[in-house]
Amino acid sequence: MMKLEAIIQPSRFESVKDALREVGIEGMTVTEVRGHGRQKGHTEVYRGREYTVDLLPKLKLEMVLPDKLVNTVVDTILKTAKTGKIGDGKIFLSRVEEAIRIRNEERGENAL
Amino acid sequence: MQGSLTPLSVLGPQADDERHRIREQFAAGVGARETLHALCELADNNIRQIFGEMLRVHNAPPAGLCLLALGGYGRKLLFPYSDLDILFLFGHDKAEQEFRPLIADFSRTLWDLGFRVSSAGRTLEECKRIEEDNAEFHLALLDRRFLAGDSELFERLDARVLPASEKTARPFLLAQLHKLTKERLARYGNTIFHLEPNVKDAPGGLRDYQASAWLRQIRGEKKEPLSSSAAEEELAFGAVDFLSAIRCFLHYSNARNDNTLTYELQAAAAERSLGVADRVPRNAAEWMRLYFRHARTLNRQLLRYLEQKTPVPQTLRQRFISAARSAKSAPGVGKPFAVRDGLFEVLDVKELSDRAVLFSLFTEAARKGVPLSRRTERSISYVMKHPELPTRNADVNWPVLREILISDYPGVALRPLQRLGLLTEILPEFSRIDSLVVRDFYHRYTVDEHSLRTIEHLQELADSADPRDTHFKELWKTVERRDLLILSLLLHDVGKGMPVDNHVSGSLEALEGAAARLNLTAEEKSEVHFLIGRHLDMSATMQRRDIFDPATVSAFAATVGTQERLQRLCLLTYADIHAVNPEALTPWKAEMLWQLYVATSNHFSRTLDTDRLHAHDEVSVLEQVRAQAGRPATEDVERFLEGFPRRYLAVHSAAEVAAHFALHQKLCAEPVQTELHARGHSFSLTLLTADRPALFATIAGVLAGWGMNIVKADAFANAAGVVLDTFHFRDLHRTLELNPSEIERFLGSLRDVVNGKAPLEPLLKGRESASRARVPKVSVETSTGFDDGSSAHSTLLEIVAQDRPGLLYDIGSTLARLACNIEVALIDTEGQKVIDVFYLTEQGKKLGEEKQESLRQALRAALV
Repeated sequence: MMKLEAIIQPSRFESVKDALREVGIEGMTVTEVRGHGRQKGHTEVYRGREYTVDLLPKLKLEMVLPDKLVNTVVDTILKTAKTGKIGDGKIFLSRVEEAIRIRNEERGENAL
Repeated sequence: MQGSLTPLSVLGPQADDERHRIREQFAAGVGARETLHALCELADNNIRQIFGEMLRVHNAPPAGLCLLALGGYGRKLLFPYSDLDILFLFGHDKAEQEFRPLIADFSRTLWDLGFRVSSAGRTLEECKRIEEDNAEFHLALLDRRFLAGDSELFERLDARVLPASEKTARPFLLAQLHKLTKERLARYGNTIFHLEPNVKDAPGGLRDYQASAWLRQIRGEKKEPLSSSAAEEELAFGAVDFLSAIRCFLHYSNARNDNTLTYELQAAAAERSLGVADRVPRNAAEWMRLYFRHARTLNRQLLRYLEQKTPVPQTLRQRFISAARSAKSAPGVGKPFAVRDGLFEVLDVKELSDRAVLFSLFTEAARKGVPLSRRTERSISYVMKHPELPTRNADVNWPVLREILISDYPGVALRPLQRLGLLTEILPEFSRIDSLVVRDFYHRYTVDEHSLRTIEHLQELADSADPRDTHFKELWKTVERRDLLILSLLLHDVGKGMPVDNHVSGSLEALEGAAARLNLTAEEKSEVHFLIGRHLDMSATMQRRDIFDPATVSAFAATVGTQERLQRLCLLTYADIHAVNPEALTPWKAEMLWQLYVATSNHFSRTLDTDRLHAHDEVSVLEQVRAQAGRPATEDVERFLEGFPRRYLAVHSAAEVAAHFALHQKLCAEPVQTELHARGHSFSLTLLTADRPALFATIAGVLAGWGMNIVKADAFANAAGVVLDTFHFRDLHRTLELNPSEIERFLGSLRDVVNGKAPLEPLLKGRESASRARVPKVSVETSTGFDDGSSAHSTLLEIVAQDRPGLLYDIGSTLARLACNIEVALIDTEGQKVIDVFYLTEQGKKLGEEKQESLRQALRAALV
């Protein structure tokens, strides 16, 4: 099992979610986050006051996947979250030791 | 242990059979009250039998120990899976030690028989003391009932110990009950209108009824003016029966003490028409309306008791102070209401049958932010139903409603208007969402509650310390036509109660009826139509589009049209998200909304002169203007409109454009055309003339000379060089308002100065000393910024500075002195801050760097 974390543009979320549903991913955790990588912020002036937007709004998706689905999901996110501009985000993958469903204590991939 | 107990193998099945029988009877339609009594009797019988047997087995006399039922069990209202609250009362400290083994056996046996026991032990002496950290225990003691054991001991507690200690502890108990109740209500957002309510603890739940009873009991009330009438008591009795039936049903359905009325159980309860005498199956939405009606009864009763002050003996000094305060809050002559202790109270109930008087009370409440007392609401309700007080002046029209909606605290009036049924008299469309449950994952409240909350979130902005609100606070303070924004919020979701696929189209359909009935002008209706029709756009754009992409901003700006609309739409979006549930407006979303607002606002002010009118293409506009202007030649209208910035059409209605065109046609006879309109204490001046040097500064100077404070202005020029300036100003000294004859002299003076027939300087001289003497309330730092990138033809100059009379004249004359031509000007004021944007050219070109620097220095000197 792998844990996938993807930082994406908020504007791409609906497309990513729909595409993931099509490949069989129904569950994920979504968090509103702010940050920046190479895409630096910018300064906006409004009514004489400067607003520096150095941390840009992004969404973080988290999901734990059975090994056989990892490549499909990564491809799907790459395809749907990409606009080609700086700031499209990143995907992180890490190995997961165990998953347990609290309701019935199922373990492993059955718990996903 | 001596002897033996009746075996559990006998008692257990007996209790189970009885529980089963009670449950079957409830399912067959026996009422909740009978069910609760039966469950209570089952528990009582078992407790008495087991306690008796325990005394026998332990060979213990009952002297020195008795059992009391407390809380709901004490009131003989025991729900299927509720705990049995039992108090072991000991005559003295030693008894506690002696009876410990008996109590342990007793409690274990009850558990084994399926009773959930929640017990406490106290000596008689301990019951005299008030446990300040355990007010709940003292409240539960109010519902004490003797169960078994030493009855004399109970008598001593009940007749001697507790009455004395309760009397002493009355202020403490009242304060604690107020505190606990308010905390509980706040945990549920102070509203009964939850989509999945908790029928015990949420506002309007059974706990409300109990809290009312405790308040009454602690105050020792028997008959006093605020006690409920017989009719109200009957309503409350019915509400308790209805909610008790639901709570029984929830316990049986969940097989535990879970009191949340979920969507699934709402459907099941509606199907069997739970709590309703006719037993006719209903749909869930219809049945939930019954639930909310009953919940409202209990909640209203509790709030009235919470508001009631406890009579406390006053010292002579306190009475003097109180008398002085009463004198201060005395009503104005002729007003049958006044503010007392921060609430509106009615002084003459009969007067309220006149709707004009009644609505003046709501308007005052909305203006001052002072709520009506529950007693006042009750009086209004009485007047509305009383046949001997027929309604006078029943026709409530738009100007009356508008006064409420435009105030600083519209929600303060709209809440009681809704509770009393008056809101739906004015806006019957709102009844479509009365207590309406629309199931979705995010919304926590019914649709009407959500709509009213949007308005309350806006009014709370003025005093908000929440960092999310910092930017929106300024918008709320300065937004124009607040009445239309609030009306849009009232109607934006009424489509959810209509048989339509898309609720927005339903809401727009409802607007048609409301607009016709209220007699909204075409412009007002169009604005509300826009806000309702587009109420999801800003939210969708910020969440589904890249708001940092100029193309997104440009497309969004095109749908919005003007800065004024953007401001209203932004506030509507803020309120709409905020009222979904308490967590919905995250700082992240608030920031996204603000970023989109700023980007769009800047887009408007930076693209003004790139988007100019080509009148020939504006077929529909031309037709509308011609229709309003008495059908002049199309070419003449085209000539007038050609070259104006598109904003000109966005901020002026067809009727206004037609009026401007009429002025334009008179320019040959009189080269300076003016028109003045009064708007409350403000005025709006339109001036049309051929462009000339320092024109803008001259007009601003005349206004300053007459003591007028400009708060907003637009300056546009068409392709033929005709300038159309609009100034909104406040008449600081009320010269024009108090002396109507001065209006013509003022306009004459303006025309003479603009035409060069009279000098400006003498006018300004008299005002200088007065204006410089005033000290501003807040200090605004002056800033000037140039932008060469936004416009293809002009240099943009943005000035933010402290407002003061004559400021615009100082800026305008500085620009004129340095030979800068104003192509477009946008003047705005936020409180004491002015925000002016000028599109400047010099000999038809953008300003060079050197010119910008000298202008910056000249402005700095002029604005100090």
